[in-house]
Amino acid sequence: MRKPRRKSVSHLSGLMLLAGALLAAPASATPKRVMSLNLCTDQLAMTLAAPGQLVSVSFLAKQPSLSMLHEEALKYPANRGRAEEVFLNDPDLVVTGTYSLHNTTSLLKRLGFAVEEFSFVQTLDTIPDEIRRMGSLLGQEEKAEKIARDFTSEIESIKKKQCGRRPTVIAYDQNGIAPGKGTLADSVLQAAGFDNIAADLGVVGMAPFPIEEVIATRPDVIIIGRPGETPTLGERVPRHPAIAALPDTRIGSFVPQGSWSCASPSVIEAVRALAKLRAEIAPCPGEATQ
Amino acid sequence: MKRALLVPVLMVLALALFVLSLLVGPADLSLHDSVIGLFAGGSEAASIIMREIRLPRALLGVAIGFSLGISGAVLQGFLRNPLAEPGIIGVSSTAALGAVAIFYSGLAGSSLYALPAGALIGALIAVLILLALAARQGSTLTLILAGVALSSLSGALTSLVLNLSPNPFAAYEIIFWLLGSLKDRSMEHVALALPLMALGWILIAFSARAIDALSLGEEAAASMGIHMGRARLLIVVGVALCVGAATAVVGTIGFIGLVVPHLIRPLTDRLPSSLLLPAGLGGAALLLAADIAARLILAAGELNVGVLTALIGAPFFLWLVTRARREML
Repeated sequence: MRKPRRKSVSHLSGLMLLAGALLAAPASATPKRVMSLNLCTDQLAMTLAAPGQLVSVSFLAKQPSLSMLHEEALKYPANRGRAEEVFLNDPDLVVTGTYSLHNTTSLLKRLGFAVEEFSFVQTLDTIPDEIRRMGSLLGQEEKAEKIARDFTSEIESIKKKQCGRRPTVIAYDQNGIAPGKGTLADSVLQAAGFDNIAADLGVVGMAPFPIEEVIATRPDVIIIGRPGETPTLGERVPRHPAIAALPDTRIGSFVPQGSWSCASPSVIEAVRALAKLRAEIAPCPGEATQ
Repeated sequence: MKRALLVPVLMVLALALFVLSLLVGPADLSLHDSVIGLFAGGSEAASIIMREIRLPRALLGVAIGFSLGISGAVLQGFLRNPLAEPGIIGVSSTAALGAVAIFYSGLAGSSLYALPAGALIGALIAVLILLALAARQGSTLTLILAGVALSSLSGALTSLVLNLSPNPFAAYEIIFWLLGSLKDRSMEHVALALPLMALGWILIAFSARAIDALSLGEEAAASMGIHMGRARLLIVVGVALCVGAATAVVGTIGFIGLVVPHLIRPLTDRLPSSLLLPAGLGGAALLLAADIAARLILAAGELNVGVLTALIGAPFFLWLVTRARREML
């Protein structure tokens, strides 16, 4: 008799502890009103937040050219990242980037708001942990864990399918700026099975890359940005006649619009699109005939 | 130096700098590859680099330097004002404002023709305003002060228009419009600007007799049978074409039209008309030299050429101002 009784007691105490934890955690830790001030935290927050939990996203989240989730973003009121807007909204938690709006962040902290900053010097490898971090901030650990795991396993399976030589590529954007080592775009290009010539030639971060060197290295692929609603002179640089004159180079936008502007789960769309392009350029034996 | 030698010497200088400009760039091309690439054509990297990147840049350097030099010379002669120069009197910055207002609004789609169209309108308005002022009150100071006002206003409005553009990348281009650059230009830009500038040179050349006569005063010029209205029209449209087309493709590049005529005037017979061609050639040489330096000074990236011309020109301008004041006293 003793044994079962003791067992039921321990069961019960365990249940109570668990119940206590479940009741206590949402009350103290899970924020009810979250405000995102940064395009990239917008993407993570929109993916993970429970209905009604996210009260505002940045205005940039609604721009199709920058934000993969721009349609989703239309559901939320926009902010321009100003301290006054945060003050009026009075959120329990503010999520923003470490780099952007630095003065606003320190002001908000002084005013007693809970501010969580996300760094955006990121690569594909850091995304799963960023997803988990946002998940735990929003009290959505399970959902985040699943998204993070799916993300990692899809990248792995894409990497496994590659064979043959690694085609060369440069992402050539506004004013001839190219992403080099340490950038999200570079990690996407690597994962999709390309050699990024900007990184090979020593570019670190986003830096200007001379057109002459693009021509001299003759990459297999040049990824250029899409033109904006209104023109700029900078967007003409990747469309320079010298680049168009390269006979064997594929030039195009290739990645879905806004898919790799942020380290968010939707970067996977860019990896998928580029992996497909790579399979066309350097097909695996047997695939070429299909 | 003998006067007869001035033009040939300047031509040789400009030509040498033109060739040097073709040989300077981030891609390491040997002299042999450069020459073969330039003349042979084809789809070799050297050929694309020479023909599509370096040649248009060098051509624009020559043509725009010539335009700015000749515009400075004709304005100084016509306004009888040693400080007149398209940059200082605000023609360049107003041209930039015109180009920016029409191009970035997207009114003309993404067509490059919006640039010269807007710049010509801007330059024309600026020249007309300044001439109206100069006609009413011909003092050196009035013109320069009006130019200062016009430049600051146009510069501010240019920044405003670029900041208001719905395209977030437009604001990065403020520095290009305020401190010009010949970076990454193409044959499209040459085709766009060169015919307009050439027309401007011809119109200015036709005003040569008038500006010579004007150096004796307006009445004397009229008594010599000079049609002042016609001369004014030639100069207004000629300068607007030169400065407008130049600014449309490379942004605002200052001081060339100021420095060059002053350097070359002592070598001429001091008739305003005999300064025109040498000032154009000298302007071409100066802009080519500045553009070569802009590419060489920084190992990574390059300077805006307008920074260099301002570094040369602004001290020169101050020196001219103090000298002009001493002469007045």
